[in-house]
Parts: sequence; C-alpha cells; structure tokens
Amino acid sequence: MKKKVLSVLLASAMVVSLAACGASDDDTSAASSSSSSSSTSSSASTDTASTDTAASTDTAAAEDYVLEKLHIVVDGTLTATVDSGQQEFEAQWEEAVGERLGHPIDLVITQLDHSDYTGTVSRMLATSSVGDEDYPDAMIMSASMYRQYQTTGILWDMASAYDNAEFQARVTLPTVNENMKTADGKLYGFAPTYGNGCVTYIKQSWLDAVGKTVDDIKTFDDYYNLLLAFTNDDPDGNGSAGTYGVIAAGFGKLDEAPYINYMPEFWQGAYPSFYQKDGEWVDGFTEQATVDALERLAKAYADGIIDPDTEEAGTKQAREKFFSNDQSTSEGVFTYWAGTWLRTLTNNMSKNEVDDDLGDDRLVQLPPIKEIVDTWGGYINREAPVWVITDDGDGSNAREQAIFDALLDTMLDGDRVQTLWTYGAEDVHWSIHAEEFSTNADDPDKRKDYSYEEGEFHLKQSPNDPNAVWKKNHLDSVLVIAPLTNGFVDDDELVTKGNQFFTTHCVDAPAAAACDTLTANQEDLTSKKKELMNLVVAGEITAQEAMDEYTDEFGDIVEQILAELNAQ
Amino acid sequence: MGKQKTVTTSSGQPIRKKPLSIRMWNSRGYYLMFLPVFIYVLIVYYWPMLGVRYAFYDYSLKNFEFIGLDNFKEMFATKDFWRAFFNTLQLSVIKLLITTFASVIISVFLNEMGNMVAKKTLQTVIYLPHFMSWAVVAAIFTLFLSKSSSGFVNETLKSWGVIEKSIDFMHSKAWWRPIYYMVNVWKETGWGTVIFLATLSGINPELYEAADIDGASRMQKIWNVTVPALANTILIVLILNLAKVMNLFESVFVMYNTRVYKVADVISTYIYREGFMTALPNYGYTTAVGLFKSLVGCVLVLVCNFASKKVRGRGII
Repeated sequence: MKKKVLSVLLASAMVVSLAACGASDDDTSAASSSSSSSSTSSSASTDTASTDTAASTDTAAAEDYVLEKLHIVVDGTLTATVDSGQQEFEAQWEEAVGERLGHPIDLVITQLDHSDYTGTVSRMLATSSVGDEDYPDAMIMSASMYRQYQTTGILWDMASAYDNAEFQARVTLPTVNENMKTADGKLYGFAPTYGNGCVTYIKQSWLDAVGKTVDDIKTFDDYYNLLLAFTNDDPDGNGSAGTYGVIAAGFGKLDEAPYINYMPEFWQGAYPSFYQKDGEWVDGFTEQATVDALERLAKAYADGIIDPDTEEAGTKQAREKFFSNDQSTSEGVFTYWAGTWLRTLTNNMSKNEVDDDLGDDRLVQLPPIKEIVDTWGGYINREAPVWVITDDGDGSNAREQAIFDALLDTMLDGDRVQTLWTYGAEDVHWSIHAEEFSTNADDPDKRKDYSYEEGEFHLKQSPNDPNAVWKKNHLDSVLVIAPLTNGFVDDDELVTKGNQFFTTHCVDAPAAAACDTLTANQEDLTSKKKELMNLVVAGEITAQEAMDEYTDEFGDIVEQILAELNAQ
Repeated sequence: MGKQKTVTTSSGQPIRKKPLSIRMWNSRGYYLMFLPVFIYVLIVYYWPMLGVRYAFYDYSLKNFEFIGLDNFKEMFATKDFWRAFFNTLQLSVIKLLITTFASVIISVFLNEMGNMVAKKTLQTVIYLPHFMSWAVVAAIFTLFLSKSSSGFVNETLKSWGVIEKSIDFMHSKAWWRPIYYMVNVWKETGWGTVIFLATLSGINPELYEAADIDGASRMQKIWNVTVPALANTILIVLILNLAKVMNLFESVFVMYNTRVYKVADVISTYIYREGFMTALPNYGYTTAVGLFKSLVGCVLVLVCNFASKKVRGRGII
C-alpha cells in the first residue's frame, strides 16, 4: 500500500514539475503572442496620416537608437557565400556603414539553403522571438512569401522610411516599390531591383544541326517542330537517339510566382493561380487556358520531346544537364533567367567544352512566340524579391528605422556600400588596382588572359574558382532601381545583350494574391495542383478529370478565397 | 482494498518487511545513482511532450490561441489526411507480413545449408543492405528502374521483348507499392533472419535424428520440425513490429513523388509537407495530426501487449 502511495506521490511530483516547466513556457509563448498581436494591432490601427506625423519623431528616435548588431537572413542570392569571400564582404560593410552611422556595427549573416528557404525562415521565426540571438532583424523574401507574411504583424511597415530614404532622389524605377504598397499605403518590403524573368535559350549548334534558325520559330507549332527535330534528328551528331527537345525545373513551378516562366511556350496565356482579370480575382488554375496548357504538355511528354527528368528536376539539376559535358542525353532548349544567367550558362558550357568554336554565341535567345505575345504580351517579369524588417511590436519605430537606415538606405547609396552589394568586397571580388591574371592557365585552348591598369574597375577571379571571373554579388547592376554613381560598371556585352533582350520582350507579372484563407490553404492547394499537373502530363488522367478532382476537393475553399480577395 | 500479500520464508515463517522509507534510506546509494537518469528522462523525454498541448491551439506565426478540438475536426474532414492514414496502415502491415515471411523462408534455407563457408558468406551478403541509408537505397533503385536509357530493368525487359515501351515504375500508381515492398524486402530481409536463425540454432538435434529414423525426407523435416519450432518466434516478431506500424517516414519520403501521392503518402510525409514545406504553417494542426498518430500507435502497442501476454505469457511493456 505504501508503495502505491509513494508511486502516486512520485507521479504527482513529476506532473507538477512538468506543469511548472510548461507554465514558464506558456508565459514565454503568451509574451511572444502578445508581442505579435500588439504589433498587429499597432500596425492595424495606425493610419497613413499618423505614420507621416510619426515619421519625424521616429527618425529622431532612430538617431538616438544605437544599432550595435544587425542580423540578416539571406538565401542563395547573396553570391558572396562563406566560401566566396563573405567574411571580407562583412568586414568591409561594417567599416563603411560604421563610418556612415558614426558608431561600430556588427553584421551577422545567416545564409540558408536556397531550396528550403521558405520553410527554414518560418521555423526560425516560430522558434525564436524578438531579442533572441537567432531572431532576424531583416530578411529576403520572394514575392509570394512576402504577400503571405505582410498580414502577419511580423513585418514592419516601412512606407514612411522608404518615402524619406536618401536614395529616393536617385531612384529611376519608382513603380517597383510603389506597386507593392497596400491599398492603405503600407509597405512591408523593399525591392532594390526589379524582378527579372526568364527567356528561352536555344543551342546554336543544335539549330545548325537540324537546319533551322531562330527566325524560323514564330509560333507554337514552329517551336514544337523544333523540339521534335532536337529529339529525333540527332542534333548532337553522335548517330543515336537520347537527346530531348527541352528541360525545365518542373512542368510548371506551381509553388512560386509567376508559376509559368520555366515553360512559357506551353503555358502561353495560362496562369495556374489566383490573379486579377479585368479587375476581378479569378482562379487561373480552373480556366480553359490552363486545361489547354496541360494538354499541350501531356502531348509533348507523350511525344518524348520533354526530358522526363523535368518532372522532378530542381533548377540546378536542369541547368547542369543542359550544359553537361555529355550532350548525348542533353536538350536543345532551356528557359531560364535573363541577363547575368546568359553569361553563366555560356561560361558553364565553355567549362564543359560544349561548342567551344561558337564562343559567346553558343546560345541564342528566342523572342516570345506569337501565342505568348497575343496573350500576356511577352515573357513575364516576376514581382521582385524584397527585403523585410521584423517589427518588435514595442510601439516605437526606433529599432526598425535604425535597421532601415543601416541596411536598406545604405544598400542603394550609389557608392561604397552599394558597390559591396553589387560586386562584393574590394580586392576580393573586384579591384581598381593594376593587375594581370589568367583563367584556365594550364589549358592552352581555354586560357584567357586579363590585364587591367591602375584605376580601372574590373572583376577579379572568383574566390572559389580561379578559372572563372566573378560576376556579381546580391544586386544586379542592370536591374537595380537606383544605379551606382561611382562609375563602377562591369560592361559584359553578353549580360547587357541578355538584359536588353528581356526588357524589350517582357511584361509585368500579375500581382500575387494574399488573404487569410489562401494563406491557410496554400500548401494543400499547391500540393494538389502539382499532383494533378504531373498526372495529366504523364497521361494518367485527362486535364478535365484533373479540374473535376480539384473543384471537388477545393471548390468551397477556392470560392472563399475569391470572396476574400474580391472584398479587399 | 485488496488483500495484502504476506511474504514468507521457505519454511513458511512470515518475514516482517521494514517500512519503505527505511528501505529507501538504506538503498540511498542506488537512488542517488538513479537520480541523474531520472532527471535526464524527465528533461529529454517528458518535457518535450508538453508540446502536445499545441494540438489544441491555432499556433502559427500569425496567431496563438486556444481553439479546443478545431484542429482535430479539420483533420478528420480532410481527405488527404485519411488517404495518408490508410496508406500508412496498408503499407506498413503488408510490408511487415512480406518481410517477415521472406525472412523465415531465407532463414530456413540458410539453416539447411551444409557448406558453412557458403552459408556465412551468404549471410553477410544479405545483411549488408540493412546498413545502407534509405537515401542511397532510393537512389540506386531509382536509377535501376529508371525509364531512361540508363534504366537497367527497362532496357533488359525491352531487349528480351517482354515490353515495348519503358515502364515508369517509380511514378506509376500501379507499380509504386510493389516496388516499395520489393525494396523493403531487399533491404530488411537479411537483417530479419538474425532472430529466426538464432531460434533455429536452438532446436534440439534429437528431433531431426528422430525424424531421420522415422524416414522423413528433408522437406518433411522442414515442415514438421523446423517450421513448428519457428512458429512462436514468428508470432512474437509480428506482434513486436505491429506496434511500430505508424512509424513510417524515411523509406517513403525518399521514394515517393507527387504522382503517387494517392498510394504512397503516409501520415509522417503528410505532416512533413504541412509543417515544413509551407511559408506559414499551422503548427497546431500538424501537432494534432502527430498526436493522433501517436494515439493510434499507443493503442496498437496496448493491443500487441495484450496479444503478447496471450501468446507467450508475458507482455512487451
């Protein structure tokens, strides 16, 4: 009996001790929650007028606020990684910004895995709170991610800071950020560049092999016949089959706007997500244009002109197969990012000794086919990725304004700090000192010599690859909304040609949708759409059956989402 | 109040036990040694369990509020959840039956092998796949079964004239489950033979000698001596593994894809997608799904414990 009593007492002690632990956890959560809700309510109750009025007070408070440490979270778009001179970038940024602010500042960069960025950020925010070492002060977000986060209360409304930023006088593309403001004038993210988009690249050698030129490709039928020729007419000249017309990272990238940019010729006027059409929000996935697009993809898949690896390939796998040293199982067409990526793809083909005789003319850019021009008007220019600042919810904007001043205002200073973000660290990624170097120094066929005089701006060899010249850091000098004023320009003709081609042939992507029901069901919708898309393309179900299943499962939710979006 | 048991000596004299507190004090050294383990168990195993309360909260980056059973209501109304639930049960149970059956067959064959060198070599070879990670196994079989020209199986079948067009084994709803079971048999059968071989080595040789005297053939000896001797072990292995049927993640995660969700998505992969693949996950919902999975697992453990008591006279917990 005593044993039982003792057991009960021990069990009770355990429960009480656990409950005590739990209670302290509850307090933390509650504090975190209240902090979060207070920030929500504070942002909700603050109107534009009062923001303006408060701006001067906040700026004054920010001047008094000493930001000693800045923790930023970035994805793979910061190309100065830890293996590629990030330490030097940090040190030079701290020196430049510290001088400007008048006090030292410690920059802490957390660079997350690019492919799981969204999930890791959400876990990071959920498992830490403002003031914790891990909690980010500022982060990069894609447009889709930003739209979902802007109503959470986690992000700081930077409209006032943006309007009063020093770089405003030099902004050449004001609409990029103005278009991101909410109906009531709030701005939760800042885009230092415009979005950019994808264009279709074709291997010149394969065009030559099948006796075609890019001028022959005007319509979808022309494009389709080209893919057939690339698949069946031995474009690599090895005498056997194995090649494919086209590869992409997925038949459609349904988890990230603008969804259709990796296979625009097949998707044409379709947009498999929520978008505004004639002023009203619609679900593009259920439209006839999407049904037609899925049927086109299914036919191409059945005809064997789409590389089957497309279904599960990530962008890295797709592009590596495209410029692979083994062209016998490669593809002739690849739709990918414009501008700098034209140079990167060309360099990688060179590195793999593909079409060396063609030099920088290895790839030719395909102007949008008729069906794309007749629907969207051109290739899609995506909504720009943004920088966001976390709101600590303390009712004062001092910390947030200080972060804006240190990070975002300096990012486009036109000079020293902007150069760091654009090209990287001085004498690591770029230099103005006289020097000579060679890439592929040991290979007489591929060796390229570079020689620069004192004072001449130039990019250096990549810190992690002496056979390649560094290209850029986070900001693309051609896409930036306020250009550099110090005259530092990397005049790579191929990059310039690529950017000019894209800007000539692009149209802005539809604005991403955001509402509570969509946020709550985003993953389920995306997952189902991916599943159905892949089943249709593989020929296991028809496009109409896919639509029926989608409507049956998500019809009510879609209606609710559309009602919320159209009520905004 | 039940009747107190009286502890007696072998001659029947009652032993007067000292009070528990005194016995504890006398054994204080042992209790002191146990204390770090007790604290470790509390912190590492029980403290995290407090997180199950989030199953009753709307816990996202946007909200943190008590919502009672709403997460469970949402879960039970979600088709994808039920699909994952039934897939979990089906894949686990069939996998368990097939791998156990295969392990028994191979154990019996190994037991019959007279050449010890060949027997030991074969044992080593069939144990090896168990030590390979699931990621590697999935990569090997994906390549092996690939639809492309590098896919060994498709190319062989085509060269033999069995098929005209390559089969997309890993993306086919009809083929995915058979492939999954086959890969599991390949990876785990060898390891599964360990316990059966141990049982077989304990069979009294006199039983085989008696069967020889009776003129039994090799097959008759297997059927009438070996298999009955294994029956109890087979049952125990099945019961012990039945308790773990809800724990299915890695093997499915590395082999499935969007096209086979209908036949392959299991509860753990469903939770993973809901919790880790979305920008603003509702951790309350994913905790509710996880809690439900744990409860089902708990019930299965209790059922197995009951079955174990019936079969071998003692429980598994």
